[in-house]
Amino acid sequence: MPLRWRATLFFVLALGAAVWQSCKKDAPEPGEPGIDLRGIAYDPKPYAVVKPDHFPQVPIPADNPLTIDGVQLGRRLFYDPILSGDSTQSCASCHLPQGSFTDNLAVSVGIDGIAGRRSAMSLLNIAYATNGLFWDGRSPNLEDQALRPVEDPIEMHNTWTNVVAKLKVHPTYPGLFRKAFGIQNTNEMTKELAAKAIAQFERILISSGTSKFDQYLQGNKDILDDDELDGKLMYFEEGGPVGLPDAQCFHCHGGLTLTGNQYFNNGLTEAATLNDFPDKGLGGFNGKMNDNGKFRSPTLRNIALTAPYMHDGRFQTLEQVIDHYSSHGKNSPNKDPLIPQVGYPIPGTSPLQYTELSANHKKALVKFLHTLTDTTFVNNPDIQNPFF
Amino acid sequence: MKRFLFPSLFFALLALSACEDKSPSAPASDLTITFKALYDGKPLEKYKLYGYSTYQVDFSRFNAFMANITLLNGTQELTLSDIEWVDFTPDSAPTDTAVDVSIVLKNVPDGNYTGIRLGYGVPPSLNAKQPKDFAPAHPLSRENEFWLGWGSYIFNKIEGRVDLNNNGVFDGGLIYHCGSDAVYREYMFDLPISVKPGAAEIVVEFDLKKLFVLNGAWLDLSNPYNHITSNDVNDVVIATKLMDNFGNATTVKQ
Repeated sequence: MPLRWRATLFFVLALGAAVWQSCKKDAPEPGEPGIDLRGIAYDPKPYAVVKPDHFPQVPIPADNPLTIDGVQLGRRLFYDPILSGDSTQSCASCHLPQGSFTDNLAVSVGIDGIAGRRSAMSLLNIAYATNGLFWDGRSPNLEDQALRPVEDPIEMHNTWTNVVAKLKVHPTYPGLFRKAFGIQNTNEMTKELAAKAIAQFERILISSGTSKFDQYLQGNKDILDDDELDGKLMYFEEGGPVGLPDAQCFHCHGGLTLTGNQYFNNGLTEAATLNDFPDKGLGGFNGKMNDNGKFRSPTLRNIALTAPYMHDGRFQTLEQVIDHYSSHGKNSPNKDPLIPQVGYPIPGTSPLQYTELSANHKKALVKFLHTLTDTTFVNNPDIQNPFF
Repeated sequence: MKRFLFPSLFFALLALSACEDKSPSAPASDLTITFKALYDGKPLEKYKLYGYSTYQVDFSRFNAFMANITLLNGTQELTLSDIEWVDFTPDSAPTDTAVDVSIVLKNVPDGNYTGIRLGYGVPPSLNAKQPKDFAPAHPLSRENEFWLGWGSYIFNKIEGRVDLNNNGVFDGGLIYHCGSDAVYREYMFDLPISVKPGAAEIVVEFDLKKLFVLNGAWLDLSNPYNHITSNDVNDVVIATKLMDNFGNATTVKQ
């Protein structure tokens, strides 16, 4: 090929490349220079988590320490519908402060109007949940959990590629990522950093320590009335000496956060075999048949604010929940052995049977559960929607 | 002159370095203690039916606090750990077989020891504290192992079910959650223990079958009141029996 023709071909190719380049959409592509953020100050300051004195120390992972800017970024992301495919739903759509970070629905509904199969869990004291997240424990930590709803087709139905592309060209988020994580360029904005920020915000969702029960624990022994005190004694298996039945609650809902963070079959489903659970729960995740039908025990703090109850929202009221346990649940091969042991043992029965709880005992338990309500927490201005 | 200055300085520094007080530290190695859960000499399996007296039981949970782990050498003692939590049946286990739990104790002086002492539960000085008193990674920060109503850690949890008629239908649960200062126990095990580089491991086995045989007789689970421990007075009696028998249910090997 003569030199003149080769030069012409090179010119045409170069021109074509330039035209193609100019036609690309605005969002930066991998390898593009992005926006330099180094002009924005990066001055991370530790965020001091506020917790009641009688609560355990809050576990914070070494690779995601809480900073003031990290928590603020996480709070914005948590409440921002930019995460969903049609920009209509945020994390807070299913986790509202007034519901103690639930949506008060039996099962949550995604952006396409499709109902999920499980109820949104409360995020109260979620920082202490170190034995798996979701009802089936499929997520090991908050950083992993925060990634999942965005790409779930029946939840936010989006892709993180889309989300990150939108965040990169957003007028505010690049600077917030810079302040939170010290990135130098918008190209360093990732889904992992977004999830870290959301996890930081979720770790500050700690009880205020002002519920009636907390005041009782801190020495105000007169704050519970007689019914509430009876309920507390039954809950914590302390009632025997004063003639109260055992409600067995604390075995699964124990500790200060009132959840063992463990997985149980609490007798919700009649199942002849371990394969007969319509929702296999933990077993559906880990593949162990003996874990079929087991679900994570949620915190009972603020339980009066989180109706309906159970993983599928089948019970509308706390009274219905207590009725379920009082009747010792439905039978299945791996029903937790404590479920049939609610109530008074019936002497002379073999195998030993237990009475149902009386109406007064049920009422006392419900009244005790209401002492766990922490309105200071749900009204805490630091955890509300920052866009209002 | 310069030709001699540098070598002289070099040798002076070398000599100075050799004169530093470097008292040799005693040789030490890492000691691994591996805890194992057994039933009748074989690894415990969750939900497996085991023969128990004339009937059957299964187990779904077994965990325990172990305290004051101390190597013995005649009258000398070397406490290696104040407290450990061993969970043989974590939800995250890949199968239903109980997992072995290993702890690595750093810088244990090499030598020959004559035995080991183990504490079962949480000793009173630590049991007086609460999860809030410990950093998140500490074994005693585990708030779901603390019994609020009792003001005590739950020293161990053994859970399962009883099939009294051998017909595959469970007739009740086994719920042994032992706790309170009164039932904390320590047991000594005499055996030669050698700590030296590359071979420092001790195996501690708990056999649940042995645990439930008290003075040669099975704990009678046909009596439903023997199914559970709590803070009820009668239940503390059962907890005491089990904690008294934990030493007999333990085998230590190297």
